Amino acid sequence: MSDPVNVAAVELPVGPALADQRPTDPQLYRRHSAAGEFFRRPTTVLYLVVLAAIVIFCFVGPFFSLNPSATDFPVLAAPNSTNLAGTDSLGRDLLARLMVGGQGSLLVGVSVAVICLTVALLVGGLAGFYGGVADAVLRRVSEFFQVIPSIILALVAVAIIGASLPLIILILGITMWPGVARIVRAECMRIRELGYVESSRAAGFSSFRIFWSDVLPNAFPPVLVATTLTVGRAILAESSLAFLGLGDANRPSWGALLFDAQSYMQTAWWLTLLPGIAIFIVVLSANMLGDALNDSLNPTLGRVK
Amino acid sequence: MNVHWLRYYGRLIGSSVLLIFVVILVMFLLLEIAPGDPIQSLVGQVPVTEEFRRQMTATYGLDRPLFERFVSYVANVATGNLGYSFANREPVTELILQRLGNTLVLTLPSLVISSIGGILLGTAAARTRSKVKDGAISFAAVAGFSIPSFWLALLLIMLFAVSLGWLPAQGMASYGSKGLSVPHLILPLIALAIPELAFKARIMRSTMIGVLGEDYIDTARSKGLSSFEILRRHGLLNSMLPMVSVIGYSLGFTLAGAVTVEKVFGWPGMGMLLYTSIQTGENMVVMGILLVVAITVVIVNILTDLVYGLVDPRIRARSRMSRGVNV
Repeated sequence: MSDPVNVAAVELPVGPALADQRPTDPQLYRRHSAAGEFFRRPTTVLYLVVLAAIVIFCFVGPFFSLNPSATDFPVLAAPNSTNLAGTDSLGRDLLARLMVGGQGSLLVGVSVAVICLTVALLVGGLAGFYGGVADAVLRRVSEFFQVIPSIILALVAVAIIGASLPLIILILGITMWPGVARIVRAECMRIRELGYVESSRAAGFSSFRIFWSDVLPNAFPPVLVATTLTVGRAILAESSLAFLGLGDANRPSWGALLFDAQSYMQTAWWLTLLPGIAIFIVVLSANMLGDALNDSLNPTLGRVK
Repeated sequence: MNVHWLRYYGRLIGSSVLLIFVVILVMFLLLEIAPGDPIQSLVGQVPVTEEFRRQMTATYGLDRPLFERFVSYVANVATGNLGYSFANREPVTELILQRLGNTLVLTLPSLVISSIGGILLGTAAARTRSKVKDGAISFAAVAGFSIPSFWLALLLIMLFAVSLGWLPAQGMASYGSKGLSVPHLILPLIALAIPELAFKARIMRSTMIGVLGEDYIDTARSKGLSSFEILRRHGLLNSMLPMVSVIGYSLGFTLAGAVTVEKVFGWPGMGMLLYTSIQTGENMVVMGILLVVAITVVIVNILTDLVYGLVDPRIRARSRMSRGVNV
């Protein structure tokens, strides 16, 4: 408050109309870089911390927890000092099973997102930049998945082909990539017409080189957002499958824990409540993180008022 | 309705039929690699002779090559015959149509509630000047579609059926009575509608913010229209455009969500039928349900397109081919 000039500078509203009036002080200017924007928000950092905590809980936790498959506790015990999250119908520690189950869920979320990202960059990129066959293929495949909801197709495919974790990841990847690919396509189509691509072309660079080093990197921000959202969607999809009994029997996921909990809904609330909260928190954090990424990578969006 | 218009819809319907064809083909190939023997699931645990088995295979045409079966299936589908369900001892078409009704009783109100609620909530978030209110609605929206709908269903049952005992948790009506009772509808409807409502509220918010930033809103304001009038005549009308797409598009998601929600509530709908048919390996029923879902979505897409043209005169003026919604 003592320095009126500084206060004015800090509170300067950030909007497209005021962009030219931004202070020339580089220290202040740097704050508006994407990463700066991203980490400046306390909520963003909060969701990052939550996600990191859950990853640590699932992957480091088991070193300190009870044995997740040992059945030597009282059956269906409510949370107590030994079994912090209670036990299941076979007398297994729920806290330890939440950790192991989380490994499955997180693995599915990240792997499916990586598959979607890879295929989407390839097909969506080719479709957007070159058009032609890739564009036709993408359009047909997108239409197909619009007609058959991906989760229903995944349900049938997993039931038929088999419910092992790698297969579930593969099937979810196959059914979920078109959404991401459409975004890549739209971005590449937009960037293809921009000045710097034209100048690269005028400079005589090959079209692959332009695609690889000019178009794809610049298409990346919205794709990153879509990928983040895919993590949440994949975890939700897998939990639905597992809840219907189509999970990997050897690798529990949070959805599978809920599947097991169904018969004990009236007596053991913790079996239903806790795995669901775990799914909810992870998916919510991933979605909020996607939102925050979107806001910081594309500052003009969502601020127009 | 000029020639150009008719040609556009002709092409749209043509490509939709082609799409259904592709759906059948993909499902056929998928079911072909399915392990398990349809004759075995037909005779169950009863031991049968090899001869009887061959006879049955021939009766149901299972010994014919894949392509031949595909062609005859498509021909049957064209006449509305989706095959026969052995477990239910009923033609698949009748079985599905009867279950489809139960699913629509659940999904259509969900579609209406989530659309109206989403539009209202999204508009409220876009209009408010209070950052707290906007932030709260936006957060609730993201939270709403981060909840697994089946888990929400379980929580609702635990709270309102088990603990409080206010509402029934299983089936469409009390045991022994037929038809549909409204109390039975409430919980599944909430479980199905909330994630959809949240999703639509989110889309509506960003759409409305965009619309309210347009010049014609300023013009309307400078003409002296009240803010309610501006919202009603310009804001809502222009926001409806993307919303029509989203609402049409969301039907598929609602049908997909119905699978787990019906399972939780023991709701005898199509999702439940799909679940049990997958479990018992009744491929004809699985195939039939996917086909009915696909046809329903296609019809709704065409209707969405028609509504789009009606709502927006600009679209009538020019031909548009690609208008995908990114969700």
